[in-house]
Amino acid sequence: MTHSRRALAVGVVLVLPVVVGFAYALLGATDVIGGLGQPPGLARIQRVLSEAAVWRGTAWAMWVAVASTTLAALLAVVLSLVYDGTSRTDRLARALMNVPLAFPHLVAAAVGLLVLGQSGMLARILMFAGVIADSAHMPELVSDRFGVGVIVALTWKEAPFLLLINAAVLSGHGRGYQEVARTHGASRWQVLQRVTWPLLWRGMSPALVAVAVFAFGSYETMVLLAPSNPLALPLLTAERYVDPALARRNDAFVLAVLSMVIGLIAVAVYERLRSRIEDVGHV
Amino acid sequence: MGFLATRRRPAATSRVRTRTGMLRAQTFVCAMVVAAISMGACTRDTRATSTSSELRVMTWSAIESSARGQTVTMRMWRGDQSINQFMDTWVAPHLASEFGITLRTVEGQGPEIVNALLLERNARANGTADLVWINGETFSNLRREKLLFGPWADRVPSAALLDSASPIIMRDFEQELGGLELPWGTVQAALIYDTLRTPNPPRSFDELARWIHAHPGRFTHDQAFTGVTFLKELMYALNGGVSKFQGGFNEPIYTQASAKVWQWLDNTRNDFWREGRTYPAGVAELHRLFANGEVDFTMSNNQNEVITKVRQGILPPSSRALVLRDGTIANAHYLGIPASAPHAAAAMVVANFLLSPEAQYEKQRPEVWADGTVLRTSSLSPDWQRKFGALALEANAILSDTLSKYARPEIAPQYHERLNADWRARIRDTPNR
Repeated sequence: MTHSRRALAVGVVLVLPVVVGFAYALLGATDVIGGLGQPPGLARIQRVLSEAAVWRGTAWAMWVAVASTTLAALLAVVLSLVYDGTSRTDRLARALMNVPLAFPHLVAAAVGLLVLGQSGMLARILMFAGVIADSAHMPELVSDRFGVGVIVALTWKEAPFLLLINAAVLSGHGRGYQEVARTHGASRWQVLQRVTWPLLWRGMSPALVAVAVFAFGSYETMVLLAPSNPLALPLLTAERYVDPALARRNDAFVLAVLSMVIGLIAVAVYERLRSRIEDVGHV
Repeated sequence: MGFLATRRRPAATSRVRTRTGMLRAQTFVCAMVVAAISMGACTRDTRATSTSSELRVMTWSAIESSARGQTVTMRMWRGDQSINQFMDTWVAPHLASEFGITLRTVEGQGPEIVNALLLERNARANGTADLVWINGETFSNLRREKLLFGPWADRVPSAALLDSASPIIMRDFEQELGGLELPWGTVQAALIYDTLRTPNPPRSFDELARWIHAHPGRFTHDQAFTGVTFLKELMYALNGGVSKFQGGFNEPIYTQASAKVWQWLDNTRNDFWREGRTYPAGVAELHRLFANGEVDFTMSNNQNEVITKVRQGILPPSSRALVLRDGTIANAHYLGIPASAPHAAAAMVVANFLLSPEAQYEKQRPEVWADGTVLRTSSLSPDWQRKFGALALEANAILSDTLSKYARPEIAPQYHERLNADWRARIRDTPNR
């Protein structure tokens, strides 16, 4: 097998679960399978997509995805710029920052609950310090409308992932480019603006799309920390899949298709942006 | 949840360029080949399994001997440590030593069981479960889709010991059992409160509404089965009892009766936990809020759950169960055998054992599961009668005569489905104000 054929085979194997999953969800959404007497067609898709709860849940999950990805990216950039040295403390700091990577998202969500909950550790500390009188006065950070708990948990989980990528980018050619720029008389700000930032941005941007799409569908984080209104799209999907009324269960496939389409759009937008940037020859 | 596995991180796939038509065609062909191979691999094998008509004519000892050496896979809710422990460390060893049967319990509650069996049927795959733990709408769904084996339940010798006079045991959400499921246990819904925090708890829905207004933010219910059961009890209470709803689903009655439920909730929910803007996902989350002191009530479908949860240290020791005088719902849960079960005969032997006085007693012990028996204990031997009688005297158990006085039966599963769907749309997704 030639190299290109092998590459193709690997690609096919990687994309196959997505294709099969998408096709299966589509068959379910159109009642071709599991319709239980419902004639195949677009009726289910029309009904589900006309529900306000679906779009509110989608918007909410998008908000959480964008907010947590932005925060994680900011955190990762700042930390990788501040602790980019080769000293022992810097290296130790970078190693410690990777610790959250070892925890599954469900554990991160459970920790979020223990710390941020109305009767959680933070509330107890604030009560002890006399900042709040009792747990009822603790601001809602879990099951809250704005998803603070979900955003914090996802940021805590995803920032180290981005940090790892940044560290790889900077420790590769990055340091060399920075040195060259400095020897040519660039100021610290110019190095950051013209060398470091473009390098980081380019290295990090595919990961940002991955993180955002993952956060958008992060059922395990939302199931513990998200509110029931609006019910986030992943939770709504799971809820429909086990609806007591059998006839509504295929609704979950419509919602699964919706999530996949949104994920694909995110990837397509990214690819377009990237090719435009590459065409311009920036960096 | 299988379909969730299809969610993926696109960064890996975004690098796969599918720009040329040739590649698209190859992908499609590959997909078809893999699909065909996997279909072929899981097409139903024609290995002989006993059909229900064969099992009907076999003697019980023949069924027992044919079951020897087989593995029974039981699909059940695995969310409670004490139940898992009973099944894995008490039932399984007994089955192995007495009947030569290996019991394997796997996760899957109501809706997941239905989905798994439907999926197996659609894929024409071999059955993966021999025994399922079901009731209510799950039974109704499985039966309507003809996914249950049987009738078999009347062939099981222990069935003669059932409390066959009890409508709560012998009717599952108003449905005839039809020999398609065997009663296994019985429970009655109850509120749980802390005697230290709430020395004088409300005893009726009217009192509860007043209590909620007087203690804003200290009451809520969950979004799942237990929460809907609570709403159903509220519906009975606000509409003069259960009798109005008996005899199958009736749309006009439901519409009229549920309107009172929504009105009651609209009048009280501003004083619910988080002003009724959000609700705990399930009863486990509600237990957590109660144990952490965020709310003053939790609830359970099993009046004895408070005993086991206190023993496990999940709920405070001063927790007690409470049945409202308006009545609380009692129901039973059952064992079914899927139509696709590879080891139906062995599943029957397991079910028979689970119904034996020995297993029913063990299951009802508060330090084990505290699940009520479905046997008519008065016709058991004096020894067993004494043992079952002693169980009712547990310190924080509600006396059985009180329980039966306020027990109300389940109604057609459609009421449950509609209350569930309408509560989500009218209450949960539509904030008050």
